[in-house]
Amino acid sequence: MIRPRPAPAVQRARLRFLAAALGVGFLAVAGQLAHLQILSGERLAALSDRNRLRLRPIAAPRGILFDRTGLPLVDNRPAFSLMVVPRDVPDLSALLDTLAGLLQIPASELRDRLARVSSDSPWPLRLSRGLTLEEVARIEEWRLDLPGVTVEVEPQRAYPGVRFAAHLLGYVREASDADLGRSGLRRGDLVGQTGLERLHDEHLRGRDGGEQVEVDAYGRLIRVLDRREPVPGAHMRTTIDRRIQQAAEDALGARAGAVVVMDPRNGDVLALASHPAFPVERFARPLDRETWLGLVQDPTRPLLNRAVQGLYPPGSLFKVVVAAAGLQGQVITPFDRLACPRQWVFGGRPYHNWEDHDRGALTLHEALQFSCNTFFYQLGLKVGPERIAQMAQALGLGRVTDSGLTGERPGLVPSPAWKREALKDKWHPGDTVSLSIGQGLITVTPLQVARLMAAVANGGTLWKPRLVDRVVTPEGRLIREVAPEVQGRVEVAPVVFDFLRDALASVVAAGTGKAAQVPGVAVAGKTGTAQTHEFRSDADRKRRDQDHAWFAGFAPVDEPQVVIVVLAERAGLGGQVAAPIAREVLKAVFLEKVARATAPR
Amino acid sequence: MLRVDRRLLVQFDWLLVGLAGLLIVAGLLTVSTLVPRLGARQLMALGIATVAAMVLVSVDYRTLARWACWGYGLGLVTLVAVLVAGRSALGARRWIAVGPVGLQPSELFKLAFIGTLAVYLAARESHRPGWDRVLVPLALTLPAVGLIVKQPDLGTALTLLPVAVALIVVGGARWRHLGMLAGCGLAVLPVFWFLLRDYQRERILVYVDPSRDPLGSAWNVIQAKITIGSGQLWGKGLFGGTQSRLAFLPERHTDFVFAAFAESWGFLGAVALLIVYVLLVLRGFEVAATARDTLGSLLATGATVLLASQALVNLGMVTGLLPVVGIPLPFVSYGGSGLLTAVGAVALIANVRMRRFA
Repeated sequence: MIRPRPAPAVQRARLRFLAAALGVGFLAVAGQLAHLQILSGERLAALSDRNRLRLRPIAAPRGILFDRTGLPLVDNRPAFSLMVVPRDVPDLSALLDTLAGLLQIPASELRDRLARVSSDSPWPLRLSRGLTLEEVARIEEWRLDLPGVTVEVEPQRAYPGVRFAAHLLGYVREASDADLGRSGLRRGDLVGQTGLERLHDEHLRGRDGGEQVEVDAYGRLIRVLDRREPVPGAHMRTTIDRRIQQAAEDALGARAGAVVVMDPRNGDVLALASHPAFPVERFARPLDRETWLGLVQDPTRPLLNRAVQGLYPPGSLFKVVVAAAGLQGQVITPFDRLACPRQWVFGGRPYHNWEDHDRGALTLHEALQFSCNTFFYQLGLKVGPERIAQMAQALGLGRVTDSGLTGERPGLVPSPAWKREALKDKWHPGDTVSLSIGQGLITVTPLQVARLMAAVANGGTLWKPRLVDRVVTPEGRLIREVAPEVQGRVEVAPVVFDFLRDALASVVAAGTGKAAQVPGVAVAGKTGTAQTHEFRSDADRKRRDQDHAWFAGFAPVDEPQVVIVVLAERAGLGGQVAAPIAREVLKAVFLEKVARATAPR
Repeated sequence: MLRVDRRLLVQFDWLLVGLAGLLIVAGLLTVSTLVPRLGARQLMALGIATVAAMVLVSVDYRTLARWACWGYGLGLVTLVAVLVAGRSALGARRWIAVGPVGLQPSELFKLAFIGTLAVYLAARESHRPGWDRVLVPLALTLPAVGLIVKQPDLGTALTLLPVAVALIVVGGARWRHLGMLAGCGLAVLPVFWFLLRDYQRERILVYVDPSRDPLGSAWNVIQAKITIGSGQLWGKGLFGGTQSRLAFLPERHTDFVFAAFAESWGFLGAVALLIVYVLLVLRGFEVAATARDTLGSLLATGATVLLASQALVNLGMVTGLLPVVGIPLPFVSYGGSGLLTAVGAVALIANVRMRRFA
């Protein structure tokens, strides 16, 4: 019988001791497991989710802006954006230095962007937009040294030309800190800042989608867990005619100034050009400090939208207002005559006509046709500043047109009451003399003049300038329709408007505006040459190259379809500089009529 | 020699083998779901280990013990060879090429080491215990520990020490001597600090203060804790472990495999695994207590303590209780040498048990 040899008691005790010691170890491990998995389980589970889950925003394409014929004014194209997930980056500072070197942008700019989020943030942050293919290639090449960095494709604004309709279209920028206070905006969202882009920004923007994705420890995408499709922004059909806009810009050429083309029957703005323009395309990418300062400090002020922000004395254009006030106030009739000398003395001071010869006694019609200053000095005094100011205001001067364009300015219609109030000064008869030829303190914007001229053309209806026709989702559902809106009716007898239209027609047919004649189309209009400084001598008076050249008119005379306003800054005489520009634009508008008229028989 | 007595077969310790088998299955499952390619390799290693274990079981442990000192000597030589000509990985020379496979001599050395100490202590059984019971085993231990630390493989070196201490304790040393030994050990500890490599020191510092370097050395510790904790009570399921599958957990199939297991199976699964280890260890001590002679008792003790201490050091490291030392979890971690050693240890215990009546 073999029995197991019992170990000595000492040995057994020692084995028990060892077993107990190891048992304590296993108990400690079990305790730690309970601590981690049960007490801290939820917290650690959340941490593990934070490890693996990423939210990737998918940018919604911004709505497209179309012109009235369905041509795109602003489109979208795919562009590369540089994104970084801060928590995937072990050394942010080194990464920014590398990126700054690769992209040739100051590291401080990237640092500013990163400073706004936590360095442990799991959300992708956009560092730069609109990367070139070369830059993308460089990033890809350095991929391994750039943990947490990705290049995403996002829609970006695409413009037909570098500066085409820059002020009208406006630009989009990433939401500023101030914008973020508004509803529904997140950091990095693009917001329309000026022009049409701003007008219905909330519809154009659409709603970004997003993806919840699972990534591994190297930030590589494993799978998409959840996806919310972006809602593309609504399209906007504008009242602009791209062809006319182009013609207006071409006609203006290199001159500083503005051109406005409007439909007098409903207030539709067909073109609105301002030169010099800023490179709107450049604004699609983040601007660097130098470019921005360059634009802001440029003495030609390319950021100024001269059509609605530029304030100019109307010069002789204003004679239309004075004439209307005189006729309506029955101060003058079409049959009365007033002298038109080359110089007229009032209060011991000589006031000159722009021509150097005496035209004798003229009717109001002739005085408008030849734009006789000395005639209007006398008429202005007869009508009086109150009635002139009243008529100017009735025709929409001195207040914004509510076109919705950014920074629109009201201009100024001076009156004795206003002068007392604002300048604490007496109204002098000399002020009336200046006012009657649109000089002195009076200022207007080209768009105001267009609205005024439209009222003359349509018999007294003041239309609100309409830029947007409708906002429609990409599927075609109507979101918003903007109806033409009447802002006021000018209380002037129809015969007065008939008289003015007739007189303005002869300005172009046989007066100062001959250069605006268009073959096949009867054009009416008024020239203006707004003096920008005091004349010190007769020679000085004859040098007119520092004056603003105006032309405001409409066509065809019988059934006005378009109003055109041209302003050329410091360019010379209205009849010599502005009228030809108007002619070129009108030629584009009435392309077929012009072609028919000039076709060889 | 390979003729196995039928009586011995009856006495074969199926419980012990069953417990080890459970651990091996848990390991295979975890490894092959994480890195399917390696599952097959591990299965191959298991085959080799099984054959080796059958050889180890069939030879009487007394015969085996006679060869042990040769194995010990050979082991020391290979450890030197590894230092001179070994393959290095991750900055450590631990492997030596044997044909197409890399062997980790320090793993295999462990069994020969246990045998040598056991043979010496068993031979001194009838003598009055003196300093020799402490100092000779220690003298056998320290050169090997030194060589392994030099590789550097701190983890393996650390598991040899508890084995040596356990054998000295069970081998009948006096408590007085043991106490003095412990005192000396504590006194030497600061010196030991200076022998460590920079990264080893860093690991210990990070253990004390994990926020020291959240993305460097502490990454492993933090991610291992997140991995285990996120498994919560029930676990994320065999294929649901995001931490381990998405590679947030480093060394997910080797040293940190337990974290991956705990993520998938939760607290319940992890504790179940612990219980299997505890049962295995208790069985090992029971075999030691019921062995036919002191040699068997010592062999079983050494093998059991080897498995237990290795498991504890690994589990302590993975759960954040101990500093990170690279040491695999016996039976579960991927790695052929480690599996071979663990299975060999079990074979040794089984060998002693089935011959307790012979």
